[in-house]
Amino acid sequence: MAEANNTPKIPSILTDEITTPARDLLVDAWYRLIRNRAAVVSMIIILAFMVVALFANYIAPHSPLQLNSGKGFLPPAWVERGPNGMAGDPAFLLGTDTLGRDVLSRVLYGARVSMMVGFIPTFIILLVGTMVGLYSGYKGGWIDNLLMRFTDIVWAFPDLLFFIIVMISLRETFLGQAMNGLLLLFGALAIVNWVGVARIVRGQVLSLKEKEFVEAARCIGARDSRIMWKHIMPNALGPIIITAAVTVPGMIITEAILGYLGLGLRPTTDANAFFITSWGSLLLDGQVSINAQPWVLLAPAICVSLIVLAFTFLGDGLRDALDPRMQGTQ
Amino acid sequence: MLGYLLRRLLQMLLVIFLSAAASYALLYLAPGGPTAGLRQQQQTSRMRITEEDMARIRQTYELDLNLPIRFTRWLIGQPRGRIIIGGYEFFGDVQIGCRKPIEKTVRNESGKFETIVTGCKEPEYLKDLETRKTSKGILLGDFGTSWKITRGRPVTELIGSRVEKTVKLAGYSILLSLLFGIPIGIYSAIKQYSKFDYIFTTLAFMGSAMPSFFFGIVMILLFSIIPKNAGLFYLPAGSSEAVRDYVVPGLGTVVAGSQTDVVLHLILPVAVLTIISISGWSRFVRASMLEVMRQDYIRTARAKGLRERIVILKHGLRNALIPFVTIIVFSLPALFGGAIITETIFAWPGMGRLYFQALGSYDYPVAMAILFITAVLTVIATLLRDILYTVVDPRIRFS
Repeated sequence: MAEANNTPKIPSILTDEITTPARDLLVDAWYRLIRNRAAVVSMIIILAFMVVALFANYIAPHSPLQLNSGKGFLPPAWVERGPNGMAGDPAFLLGTDTLGRDVLSRVLYGARVSMMVGFIPTFIILLVGTMVGLYSGYKGGWIDNLLMRFTDIVWAFPDLLFFIIVMISLRETFLGQAMNGLLLLFGALAIVNWVGVARIVRGQVLSLKEKEFVEAARCIGARDSRIMWKHIMPNALGPIIITAAVTVPGMIITEAILGYLGLGLRPTTDANAFFITSWGSLLLDGQVSINAQPWVLLAPAICVSLIVLAFTFLGDGLRDALDPRMQGTQ
Repeated sequence: MLGYLLRRLLQMLLVIFLSAAASYALLYLAPGGPTAGLRQQQQTSRMRITEEDMARIRQTYELDLNLPIRFTRWLIGQPRGRIIIGGYEFFGDVQIGCRKPIEKTVRNESGKFETIVTGCKEPEYLKDLETRKTSKGILLGDFGTSWKITRGRPVTELIGSRVEKTVKLAGYSILLSLLFGIPIGIYSAIKQYSKFDYIFTTLAFMGSAMPSFFFGIVMILLFSIIPKNAGLFYLPAGSSEAVRDYVVPGLGTVVAGSQTDVVLHLILPVAVLTIISISGWSRFVRASMLEVMRQDYIRTARAKGLRERIVILKHGLRNALIPFVTIIVFSLPALFGGAIITETIFAWPGMGRLYFQALGSYDYPVAMAILFITAVLTVIATLLRDILYTVVDPRIRFS
């Protein structure tokens, strides 16, 4: 690339250049990424949580809805005497909650919602944000102005205030009832957050469209859509991927916060439902009985922290891998 | 410069208007409201609510008016009645709402009963507005009266009583975060890959990964509940001052409302907010500092033989802090809007908690006022940031 001219002509580097086969930019980044230990561990953790989320019904030792009468308030299995004097039961590894439901099973099922909340809104955000940013940055003029003023409006709302107002106002409508409120949650998260992506992409496009390769493409008569998707888009991909890795943990934390405020997914009692509970609502359950049953709060809180930490480290690794010049600056 | 500012101000007004409209429309869709409970009472109680009562209540809350009219009356306090120009009256007989709607309860497809409005028994005309009490409109600072929390009292009074607490909480934490966050960030950038850097990087990652409420709960557990039960020195958690005197081991009796009491209550929430901000801000300063320190002008400064101290503070830090302007400026809305989560956990009587409380109890004028003021402050902060950028970095021009 541009730095190639500055490389001192040392023979070993020269031979390296000859022997290394040409590789795709993303493949290159992937090799750099898997050399980063923290990122690899993070990927394994995320993969593990994904498997748990998908196969929660096979992994969970109990039904998350089963009330075990007389076995409420059980501390985790390894605790000899809980705060209420009860002993742990090996059948309930992380203990039981107030109603005698198995905490481990509930946490495993909760992973489903958190993983979905992490990925689906992020996907929508990236899709909408990239398109708006790309179009507005490339076309410029009044379209750009209009779209950017629109992002200003969305930007003007403080995130959490907006989530809360949307969740409360639309809770009783059709939208709020669909999928136990998950659909509304996805929508609310997406509506607020696409703005950030749009701005980042627009900034990238603004600088990229002045580059020579775009000019060259235009000279040979490429259509605008081709220039946008084939020439500019791949070059803006790095920042988009990094944003995605930063957005996912943000979504998971927001779900937990909204769940804690009682505004996330409504826990269901339908045993056939795919989404039964979420970490957010488990945290809400746990907070009430923090003195007597801290394990109900600790289990989902540790899970949220772990997955968010994993995504943060992965995002860090991705940044280093996709933009080697930035290595160590973030 | 003047033209730029004028254009930005116009855009600002548009953004504020549209965000006000959007939030108003959202709350219009929200369930509940002043009449929700009354309708349920009607069915069980012997004291029936007459149609006339309902019309009066609906009028008090302006629920009888059509949405656009309600919105403009809320926003700018217009229209107030007939429009009189040069002695002629206009639009006096335009229907703008319905005093008594015809309601019908029907069974919908899923078998539930639903009340739907089928028509209007007694329409409301523009001239009827003349006898009503009208607010001056939120754009002129009149946010109306509270519906529930302090029923009948002005919203501004309620907000005024809470804003001081939030400014105190947010102000101290912003100040402390700056005081600690910036030096930590600089130090980890200069000593990159040192032990200090690794420790703080890990801590900062953990701080940003933990949900804030979980962190707050753990702090309460560690510094309030457990030491209190063990008979050790503890920090009171909950509210901003005590109602009655209490005894803290090692400190003696604390008089409710005294200076000591206030400080003791302040420590935990400020600590939680500060630690969360430090973890984010120090990372930010570190990244920006690392970026700057590899610039050519830093090399030039070193080559000139300047002392490292001067290179770092004068050449490095000054440039590294330019992006930090954004963070400082956007503390402005936070200073007013407060931290919902932290305030809820610590039962801090501030704005964030008030907002959540207002939405939960359908006190929409209060919620709208907070949302609106915060949105306005955010817009102002955006403008302020753009202006400040040109001040601190002359390379950036207005455009």
